[in-house]
Amino acid sequence: MNDDEHTEKSKSSYMPLIIASGVAIFLLGLAIYIPVLVAGLIIIVAAVYKMFKDGAAEKFSGTKETPEEETYPLESVTNEKLGLWIFLASEILIFGSLIIAYAYVRVNSGSWPIATQTHNVFLGMTNTIILLTSSLAMILSLYAIRQGNVKGLKIGLGSAFALGIAFLVIKLGFEWPELISKGFTITSGLPASTYYVLTGLHAVHVAVGLVAVGYLIFRAYSLGFTSSKHIAVENVGLYWHFVDIVWMFLFPLFYLI
Amino acid sequence: MDVPFPTLLLNLGEKMPGIKLYIGIWLGLVVATIMEVVIRSLPGPASVFLTIILLIAGVKAIAISLYYQNLRYEGIRLATLPLAAIIGIVFLAVSAGLTITMGM
Repeated sequence: MNDDEHTEKSKSSYMPLIIASGVAIFLLGLAIYIPVLVAGLIIIVAAVYKMFKDGAAEKFSGTKETPEEETYPLESVTNEKLGLWIFLASEILIFGSLIIAYAYVRVNSGSWPIATQTHNVFLGMTNTIILLTSSLAMILSLYAIRQGNVKGLKIGLGSAFALGIAFLVIKLGFEWPELISKGFTITSGLPASTYYVLTGLHAVHVAVGLVAVGYLIFRAYSLGFTSSKHIAVENVGLYWHFVDIVWMFLFPLFYLI
Repeated sequence: MDVPFPTLLLNLGEKMPGIKLYIGIWLGLVVATIMEVVIRSLPGPASVFLTIILLIAGVKAIAISLYYQNLRYEGIRLATLPLAAIIGIVFLAVSAGLTITMGM
């Protein structure tokens, strides 16, 4: 086998396809039968494990990073970034569809509670500013590592992580209990169920982002990033900013309008 | 040893704006958020509020995409991905709007 064939083979993997199938089975199980959900989950975990075993872990650690081979089909964009943008495009469709469904239900509904009387605008605004600040911390951490400033990277990532935690604490520790105590529960009607589904899904995304930022912090302290090897910081940052963008719409829709 | 530094990495470094711009964008976003809340507290028709507030939200989202997600410096080919998704959402929104206005 020559080098070209080897390179071509190393880029190919069925695992993403199997993971996608596992996700479909998982969601189907969520809708119809719990054991199907478990089967889907097992497929996802096994495929992710296999993918890492096949060498992705080495790549994440930076020992197998070869930028020249990772820019197909767009010459100026790495495959990781391209894949992440495809993922973000699918996320736009998910949140966009749910927001349109919310707007549709609201417009067709005879009565709807006044947002400023139901929700705590101050807490919503505080959370918006917290998320914006965490985005700033994330982009500054990327800026720092591109300058070779590892200390700046650690401070930026730590700040983004702490602000993400603060967002969830305000959301789940103060806002939701306050609303539930007022009888605004997920089963109390469409205004409440749409609110909890959309803000809950967003909170899950923040939590996933926190895991990813936590991983970056771990790597920053153990394996280390350099000014030329920091693709993970860039990609996690793209996701983190996307979560921020979604909130830019959820805040006015639920708290102001 | 004459090993060329990957062009891709050189380009990434050159295309990144400075700290002052990032902080300026953040300040603008915070001010826009406060403006949304202030506008909502003013007296006037709800439809006007809706339009202005959603317009501000859209501008904020575009600013984050362009500068924090670096889309402004990445080139149009990468931007087609989120744009395609947004076009799909606009199509869905128009369809939903039509079902309401036409009483379907």
